[in-house]
Amino acid sequence: MSKYKKRNRGEAAKLEMTPMIDVVFQLLIFFIVTLKQHDILSKLDVSRPAPDPAPPPVQPENLLTITVYKDGYVLKGRQVTLSELDRQLTSIAQYNKNVSVVIKCMGDSPHAFLVRLLDTCAKIGLKNMAVFSM
Amino acid sequence: MLRRQKHTQSGLAELDMTPMIDVVFQLIIFFIVTINLEQVYKEDIILEEGRHAPLVKEEPTTMVIEVDRHGWLSMHGAQVSPPQLKSIVRRRYNYMGEFPVLIRADYRTKHADVRTVMDICSEIGLWRLSFAAIKEQKTGRRR
Repeated sequence: MSKYKKRNRGEAAKLEMTPMIDVVFQLLIFFIVTLKQHDILSKLDVSRPAPDPAPPPVQPENLLTITVYKDGYVLKGRQVTLSELDRQLTSIAQYNKNVSVVIKCMGDSPHAFLVRLLDTCAKIGLKNMAVFSM
Repeated sequence: MLRRQKHTQSGLAELDMTPMIDVVFQLIIFFIVTINLEQVYKEDIILEEGRHAPLVKEEPTTMVIEVDRHGWLSMHGAQVSPPQLKSIVRRRYNYMGEFPVLIRADYRTKHADVRTVMDICSEIGLWRLSFAAIKEQKTGRRR
């Protein structure tokens, strides 16, 4: 009886910390387990050629055509690797940054080839890329 | 009886905080878990690396279209057929005009399947498209 009295006379209600800490740790475990990091993504812009009956005239020296096959790239009728393409595009871009790259993509070529090529163009700083599907 | 009286006479009723805090934490968990539901993407799509391209900007108007390695199209993890995709894109285009389109295609996807998406977009009037690539790998998935 006297025990009860004493408890009620206490000034502030006693806050039990143990369950709170338990819950905080549960939360912490939950977030550590479920935390899923996402890859940081980049975007490669392309334009699709519009079916315009009279497209604006482009100077042939400003136009570069690269064909993507299922086993590699072809530039000016010659099969090239991506590093060769990188070198050639870099040298072209040195004196002409406004060059438009026309990418002709074969239907059976893997998407990775196109992305690698677009990434190389982005590295060099080429801005105008158009993708034709063959 | 005497005991009971004394109990109610005391100044403050003891408030148990523990269940309240439990509920608050449960609520926090609920909101954190559900807030990202809209950005569900297909897990089995592995993107090609593209380290030199600019970062993807999180714009709410961007439409993300996914193409998996077998050529199946999906949006927010839900599979769609080409005619369905076409009607979705067309309805959105009619409603809000031009909007950015981001194509998340697996690196093994054949270009013909990516072309399906590109053709649908260009048929409706969206000429500027973007492909997603990995700028920085954070997950353990390697090709």
